[in-house]
Amino acid sequence: MKKIISRYFLAAAGCLALLAAAEAPAGAVPVFARKYGFSCTMCHSNYPRLNDFGARYRRNGYQLPGRENDEKTILQSPPPVALRTNAGFNYSRVANGAAADVRQFQLNGLDLLSAGLIDRNIGYMFVYTPVITPSRGSAAQDGVLEMASVVFSKLGSSWLNVRAGRFEPAYAAHSPKRLLSVSPYEIYGFSFPNGLTFDQTQSGVEVTGYGRNGASYAAGWVNGSETGNASQQASDFYARVEKVFGEGQGQTAGQRIGLMGYSGSAVPDSTLPAAGSKAFRRAGIDASLNYSRLNLALQYINGTDSKALWGKSADVNFSGGLAELSYLPATSVVCFARYDVVDTPSSVNMNITKWTLGGRYYPADNIALHPEYSYRKQNSAGGDITENFFTARLDYAF
Amino acid sequence: MRKILFFCLASAGALLFITHGNRLLAGEGFLFNGSLPPVPVPPDNPQTAAKVRLGMQLYFDKRLSADNTVSCATCHIPELGWANHAATDTGIKGQVGGRNSGSIIDAAYMKVQFWDGRAATLEAQAVGPIANPIEMGETLANVVKKLNAIPGYRAQFQEVFGTDATEEAIGKAIAAFERTIVSGPSPYDQYLQGDLDAMTPEAIRGMNLFKGKGHCSACHSGPAFSDGSYHNLGVGYVKGKYKDEGRFVISKKAGDLGAFKTPGLRNTAQTHPYLHDGSEKTLEDVIELYNKGGVPNPRLDPLMLPLNLTAAEKSDLVAFMNSLNGPVPVVKEPVLPN
Repeated sequence: MKKIISRYFLAAAGCLALLAAAEAPAGAVPVFARKYGFSCTMCHSNYPRLNDFGARYRRNGYQLPGRENDEKTILQSPPPVALRTNAGFNYSRVANGAAADVRQFQLNGLDLLSAGLIDRNIGYMFVYTPVITPSRGSAAQDGVLEMASVVFSKLGSSWLNVRAGRFEPAYAAHSPKRLLSVSPYEIYGFSFPNGLTFDQTQSGVEVTGYGRNGASYAAGWVNGSETGNASQQASDFYARVEKVFGEGQGQTAGQRIGLMGYSGSAVPDSTLPAAGSKAFRRAGIDASLNYSRLNLALQYINGTDSKALWGKSADVNFSGGLAELSYLPATSVVCFARYDVVDTPSSVNMNITKWTLGGRYYPADNIALHPEYSYRKQNSAGGDITENFFTARLDYAF
Repeated sequence: MRKILFFCLASAGALLFITHGNRLLAGEGFLFNGSLPPVPVPPDNPQTAAKVRLGMQLYFDKRLSADNTVSCATCHIPELGWANHAATDTGIKGQVGGRNSGSIIDAAYMKVQFWDGRAATLEAQAVGPIANPIEMGETLANVVKKLNAIPGYRAQFQEVFGTDATEEAIGKAIAAFERTIVSGPSPYDQYLQGDLDAMTPEAIRGMNLFKGKGHCSACHSGPAFSDGSYHNLGVGYVKGKYKDEGRFVISKKAGDLGAFKTPGLRNTAQTHPYLHDGSEKTLEDVIELYNKGGVPNPRLDPLMLPLNLTAAEKSDLVAFMNSLNGPVPVVKEPVLPN
């Protein structure tokens, strides 16, 4: 008994030591923060989510707005390399599905990032996820060049900026790459078999612009779906307009509403009979509403897919969205609750509902302790598939 | 037991590296608020004790004004943080100016001088108020005549510059004196040097807010806490008009409308009221202005955004400002030559 108590005491002391270390003078943090001598919270309300300042910094091609003349390029800055990973305990219990239950400590992935300014008004962002072979608690990860893009800012004015390469497209109003939760946005991930997922980066070119009145636009031409990659043509186009009311950028202040349209074509999955490209469309409306330290993120999307993409006798029309409420009681804490829903026709029968609850505590700017629970239910021909998911993990970048 | 000990130590080491390793690896970042370097001195105006002494006398001498009532020290009062506590200042004949006089502490580190940056050097700044009709209302030519008529000054100018008093020499002497008015090591500087007890926990939290959520160091950057650039906070924008057009008056660029130079923040707690028009009486007021995102206007600086600071965070920021107070030279009015 004494031994057990002393172990617990030691473990608790260790944890306290960790927190105490984290409360000591904060060091600089990844790439951009290191370059300027800032804290992460200059650009992130709660890393990885951007605040208004960060959103403006990003749209200005990784330059401080109004201070372009003072900027330093990557050759004048510390090595522009950063790393992000997270590890912790995962619990997942799936009923009526193919996935096996999980109840173990896992390393949940690794991102290698590089970003900076090549020259005035020419920025770049590079993210690579290396191959991780599942072993001894490491979750599998494909080796993917997630992002490799160059952004040319202010080509004449702020109304013309060009991003080219592989980038995070503007049609997703609430970034699937910088969301607070581990659990993904369902509506961005929902698609025909092996088809487009909105939560992935895209290869192509995107033109953006913005003015001082809070209005902005984005239009892109991208490869789109990865199905039938060999025969896939770059045939997808999208556009998005948004307007921010009040001071701010809609991330942590101001009220932002947006409209999005996407038109593409894809080759049906190889398991389906039809050949050749078939059309699909998405249209969406979104909002990010702020009141004090509360944020309500809303997204509604309606999709129409060619029947061939699903192997059905009629075109598939579905809709869905998300509503996420987050609250920042202090700089170092955020709590969030989200409801995801996808409503599909009976021919598809893949309705999804999901509740997610979670929080993040930041003992230092660049490390988060992240507990989260989600309950997901999806219709299927063989009965509802339900998943209870819980994670408690450390998410850190340096 | 050994395994647990090892685990705890390894974890603590890893976390320390995560939270502090970047600083070790990469320095401080080019906008970092480090400690002040030695005062920059232009090659054509080297510091000498005699020149500083002459400059100090000129700084306090009201005879540099048209009616012998106003000196530099009238508005930049040594005992009041080398500023004064009026919103805007009163020059000769009771005339009231439109801008806050600000402090001359660390003016030597500023890239440009005056709220609108109209003087590129401290030497040019030093003679500016003399010729300003509201402030000292004198012509520089007349000041030169007056000084050369005073044997004690004439001898000193001969000693320092090898000439009688000239407009250029007056500016150089006053600038040399102003270069001695710099803030000494503050609790913040001591903290940077490794004395972790030099700042209170509130001030440490305020420091992290300053370079983070508060967005302060985006403009109040570098050792002097100023980027030397111009920013529009919307102060003085009323009913569609700028009461003071700021940098625009000098540059004539539309983007500079209502924009003013970022002031340094060392010893700022002593130099209230604040902003170019002295419209904010306390540091708390200034922080509240920033917390709202400034005053909306067509030229509002893109770095100005609502901050959503809590009451505790605002208080922490004030604590940090107070930790920037360092010792400044104590100067008493010298005996002036006759």
